[in-house]
Amino acid sequence: MSADIKTLRNRIKSVDSTLHLTKAMGLVASSKIRRAQENMKKSREYKDAFESVVASLASSRECENSPYLKTVQDKSTKIIVIAGDRGLAGGYNANVFRLAKEYEDAEFIPIGKRACERFSGELYFAETFSKADALNLSKRLCNEFENGEYSKLGIISTKYVSMMTQEAQIKWILPLVKDENKKDTSILFEPDEITILNTVMSEYVAGFIMAEVKESFASEVAARRCAMDSAGKNAQQMIDDLELSYNRARQGAITQELTEIVAGSNT
Amino acid sequence: MRTFKLRISTPDGDLFSGEAVKITLRGAEGDLAVLKDHIPFVTSVMPGKCVVTLQSGEEKAGKTDGGLLTVSKDIVTLLSGSFTWQ
Repeated sequence: MSADIKTLRNRIKSVDSTLHLTKAMGLVASSKIRRAQENMKKSREYKDAFESVVASLASSRECENSPYLKTVQDKSTKIIVIAGDRGLAGGYNANVFRLAKEYEDAEFIPIGKRACERFSGELYFAETFSKADALNLSKRLCNEFENGEYSKLGIISTKYVSMMTQEAQIKWILPLVKDENKKDTSILFEPDEITILNTVMSEYVAGFIMAEVKESFASEVAARRCAMDSAGKNAQQMIDDLELSYNRARQGAITQELTEIVAGSNT
Repeated sequence: MRTFKLRISTPDGDLFSGEAVKITLRGAEGDLAVLKDHIPFVTSVMPGKCVVTLQSGEEKAGKTDGGLLTVSKDIVTLLSGSFTWQ
C-alpha cells in the first residue's frame, strides 16, 4: 500500500513540473504574440502595396516577354518551406510538412530550424529571419529563374486566421500570372514596364518571403499558446485525478491501520 | 507651399506617412524630384540618397537600397526593402 502511495506522489510531482513548463512556454508565447502580429501586419501592408504594382506591370503588354512571366510546364519546381524553430506548437510544424509532402518532386528551401532539420539546406531561423537574408535568397532565386534553372517558385507557409486557427497553405510566386482584367494605361512607366519589372523583382520576392515568414511566425506563436493552454488544462486535470486516488490510498492505509490496532486491542 | 501625401513603406512598417512638399531620389533614369500634382507614374529607385522636404522647410535625408516609387493622383508611395533615415 505504501509503495502505491509513493508512486502516486512521484507521478503527481512529475505532472506538476510538466504543468510548470507548459505554463512558462504559454506565457512566453503570449508575450511574443503582440509583437509578432504587429510585424505581420507591417510586412503584409508592404507586400500588398508591392503586389498591386507588380500585378499591373505584369498585365501590361510590354512585359509579355519578361522572363518572369514565362511558363514552362515540365521543368523543376522550387518551394520555400517555412516552419518553426521549435516544436511543442500543436500541429503547426506537422501541418506544414504534410502539405510539403504533396510536392515530392520539388526542391525545398527550408526556413526555420525544424524545416532545416528535415530538408537539407542552409540554416535560417524563422524568428530572426532578416531583410538581408530575404534579399539574398530572393536575388539568388530570381537569377536562377531568369536563367531557366527552374520554372516555378512556390512558398509553403501558415496562414494566420485567428488566435485559434492557423492553416498551412501554398502560394505560387513565380512565374507571375497575367491578370487580363487589369489594364491600367493611365500610368506612365519610366523607363518602361519591363525594365522596372526586372529590376524590382528581387525586392518584390524578398518582400513576399518576408511577409510569409512573419505571418508564419505569428501563427507559430499563436499555435504554441493554444497548445500550451490545452496541455496545461490536461495536466491540471491529471493532477486532480491523481490527487484523488492518492488521498483515497492514504485514507485507506490509515483506516486499515486503525482496524488493525482495534482488532489487536480486542484480543 | 503645397503638400502631397507621402508614404515610405518597408517590410518593417511605414517609416514616413504624412504630408511632404518634395521628395528627391535617384530614379532609373537619373535623379528626380516629385512635387504636388505630378503626373501618375512608376519608376524603379536606384540605391542612393533620398531627401524629403517637409512643410516646415525641414529636410529629412535617408538612404535607400533601391525600390519602387509610385506616384498616383492622391498619394506618392516609396516601397523599399531597406530604407534608413540619416
